[in-house]
Amino acid sequence: MAQSIVNISHLSFGPSNKPILDNISLNVEAGHFMGIVGPNGAGKSTLINIIAGLVAPDGGHIDLMGECLTRFSRHRLLKQIGFLHQLHDHQPRLPMRVRDVVAMGLAQYATPWKRANDQQAIMDALALVDMAELANRDFRQLSGGQRQRVRLARALVKKPKLLLLDEPSAALDSVSQDRLFRLLRKLCDDTGMCAIMVEHDIAAISSHVDSVACLNRQIHHHAMKGENIPDDVWRAMYGEHIQIVAHDAGCIGCQPGTGAHKHG
Amino acid sequence: MVDLLAEFLTSPVMQASLLPALLIAVVTASMSVMVMAHRLSFLTVGVSHASLAGLGIAVSLSLPLLPVATVFAVAIALLLALMPKRQGISEDAGTGILFAGSMALGIVLISTATTTRVDLFGLLFGNILTVSGEEKIWLYFLGSLILVAMLLASRAWWSIAFDAVTAEASGLPVGFLRMLLYGLVGLTVILCVKLAGIVLTAGLLVLPAACAWLWGRSLAGLWLLSVLFSITGTLAGLIWSYAYEWPSGASVVLALCVIFTISWAFNWGRTWAKQNDNKG
Repeated sequence: MAQSIVNISHLSFGPSNKPILDNISLNVEAGHFMGIVGPNGAGKSTLINIIAGLVAPDGGHIDLMGECLTRFSRHRLLKQIGFLHQLHDHQPRLPMRVRDVVAMGLAQYATPWKRANDQQAIMDALALVDMAELANRDFRQLSGGQRQRVRLARALVKKPKLLLLDEPSAALDSVSQDRLFRLLRKLCDDTGMCAIMVEHDIAAISSHVDSVACLNRQIHHHAMKGENIPDDVWRAMYGEHIQIVAHDAGCIGCQPGTGAHKHG
Repeated sequence: MVDLLAEFLTSPVMQASLLPALLIAVVTASMSVMVMAHRLSFLTVGVSHASLAGLGIAVSLSLPLLPVATVFAVAIALLLALMPKRQGISEDAGTGILFAGSMALGIVLISTATTTRVDLFGLLFGNILTVSGEEKIWLYFLGSLILVAMLLASRAWWSIAFDAVTAEASGLPVGFLRMLLYGLVGLTVILCVKLAGIVLTAGLLVLPAACAWLWGRSLAGLWLLSVLFSITGTLAGLIWSYAYEWPSGASVVLALCVIFTISWAFNWGRTWAKQNDNKG
């Protein structure tokens, strides 16, 4: 049995009369690629931020890599986590080469007495996202999609056991999106890395992930590959107005040919 | 010109003030890249003006100016770091309130301190030529402290400036490091007051990095250029000050403004030429 990377039990967040997250329980193992879908305001980003140690839950328990996430274990555990958060492109336009941006992801980067130019690790991470040729390019001159790939390389450079992604495909075209999801699938299969990714569009991720958690304050359903997501789960998440259309075989949530799939 | 330079370098007043001025140039240039990266330009204006209250307290209680002003400036900077989060006030509004209030307090305290003769012009606009031996020791101490802190924390600060959320998710104590940066900006402001005065300090803490930003292609390059421009501006300003008997602080800030204008014009021309090449 694979090692448990994230184990959440009875997690809650927000006021008890109107919780943002309510009684969430999940177990995700090494090598598993999980998608989290849900409508706006469902608590997807909050859940990812809690797992990333950025926000403390109001109730429940989180184990990361078999160890309880506390104020004291946080620093040590976070060194094994890569994080790519929702893109807010308001950062100052620092004059940095692509390789310098990736170096910021190294676990030892902020420690002044340690070297932070592990060029092999940096180039390996850039090669994973097909950006090795642009290693010396000014980061400010890249397109939005290229910048997002460099940010992903920064999250991958320390070879994390757990990668958390909050809508990583927002700045990418459909071809780049598909390439990103294939890369994440490959990393989970080859290295045993566990990836948890928040996405709006289940259709885009369903053929790549191992499971999909349907979240709207609660986890209404956690569907494994090949499993159908019942209509009442879609309606509990998105309301009665959603349209259900057919999709292809192999997708989570699909009943091929019977017309039972949701596009949000 | 050569005669003027020789005269400048052999002048006893200039010889005494050159080393402190160059130290201030290096420290402010180093800090100015962080000020630009973290968008703290208005904080430097606020803290430098607010430090007048610290100087006013020192004057009215007959205490040493620089140590009292240092404590006051750091306290104001830390208050500004904390206030917006705690009270729901935007950072620029908080800075504006403290800036105006402290400056008003400083003016009242200094104007009512009849027992001590105060060089108000020197406090407002700086005069490195009048730096005393005791003040020099204080400047060297503060300068060394700021440079050591910069060496230890600069990578963490770059991480936060680039992406604070990811920096925090990687385990960095972002809140503490921000407080440290604000506190050091407060210290640097006091370091600058002797050279550029309360009114012009922000110029020393913004202009070197603003010039470097137009040329730099890496973080190390940015820092080196900022130091280079700051030293050049300080030397040019002091020479002007000596040659034309201009106030030293204003001359240094003017020299930095000239460097910025040349850099900006060159950068604009380069961008224009590149755009024309692309069209052609």
